[in-house]
Amino acid sequence: MENLKLEATRYTPAISFDCERHVLEINGESYPENIAEFYAPVFSWVEEYLEQLEDQEVMVNMELIYFNSSSSKILLDFFELLEDASSNGKRITVSWIYEEEDEDTQEFGEEFQEDFESLKFNLVQKNS
Amino acid sequence: MLKNLYDFKKDLNRRGVFFCFSGPVSQELLVEIGATLKQKMRLEETRNSTALRVFSMVVEQAQNIIHYSAEKCPKDNDNPPTENAEELSIGIIAVGYEDQHYFVLCGNRIRNQDIGRLRERLVNLQKMGKDELKKFYKQERRKGPSPGSRGAGLGFIDMAKKASKPIEFDFRKIDGNFSFFSSKTVI
Repeated sequence: MENLKLEATRYTPAISFDCERHVLEINGESYPENIAEFYAPVFSWVEEYLEQLEDQEVMVNMELIYFNSSSSKILLDFFELLEDASSNGKRITVSWIYEEEDEDTQEFGEEFQEDFESLKFNLVQKNS
Repeated sequence: MLKNLYDFKKDLNRRGVFFCFSGPVSQELLVEIGATLKQKMRLEETRNSTALRVFSMVVEQAQNIIHYSAEKCPKDNDNPPTENAEELSIGIIAVGYEDQHYFVLCGNRIRNQDIGRLRERLVNLQKMGKDELKKFYKQERRKGPSPGSRGAGLGFIDMAKKASKPIEFDFRKIDGNFSFFSSKTVI
């Protein structure tokens, strides 16, 4: 399969999913008007990737400066896919990266962390 | 209107409002409004986290107008909107500062038959404390959107969570079919 690379726009994040290095990165802001349209190809890529993944270690780096409430639902769906894969023995680590004084993004990270059991979910504070 | 424009502006400023837009709202406009507000707050050395909260309220409110306003352009579009039909939603957004807090005002037309459900939802949120809101947010996010919702149905809960006071709201009757819905969130 091929890597997925989408450039950031003013209201969609950069997507950089690398199936050779096993690094998946989402970076930027997410508040599109039509959320399903933007994320559909992202989800199909991840589903296909998890299907063919063996025992390689996968790093998922999430660095979102801002996301709206419908993106928050999409993120939950995304982490649920990863949680299911983790329960089936896949080795996945999520890093939730936030700026030092951004309490809201930190809190969102903590809330996601509470929601998952098998998935390794780390909170990473960036020093600005 | 020409002679009153200055009075209108003074009136807004007297009420603490430093930004106001009334008319058709689009995603592109929202992005520009957001960028300009962020720039203004940066120039005034507003804390980053506060500026981000103001921005997030403006996004949720503007997208509420885009998705749910019952005042559309073209006008006679009385059918429920379909995914691909091109149309614009009309509403009003204002941002201000009073008593050391930013606030966001938002208004749009709504069908009378939708008032009951929205009022119930907002009254319910007004009664919740921070922990309840957090729990409710997580529960609703897991549940997924209710029928008729065009987003995740989380906008008002998200705003209530980030606000420093319960969301205030008002419905003003226009005619037998429509009312005007206004809300105020304080950051």
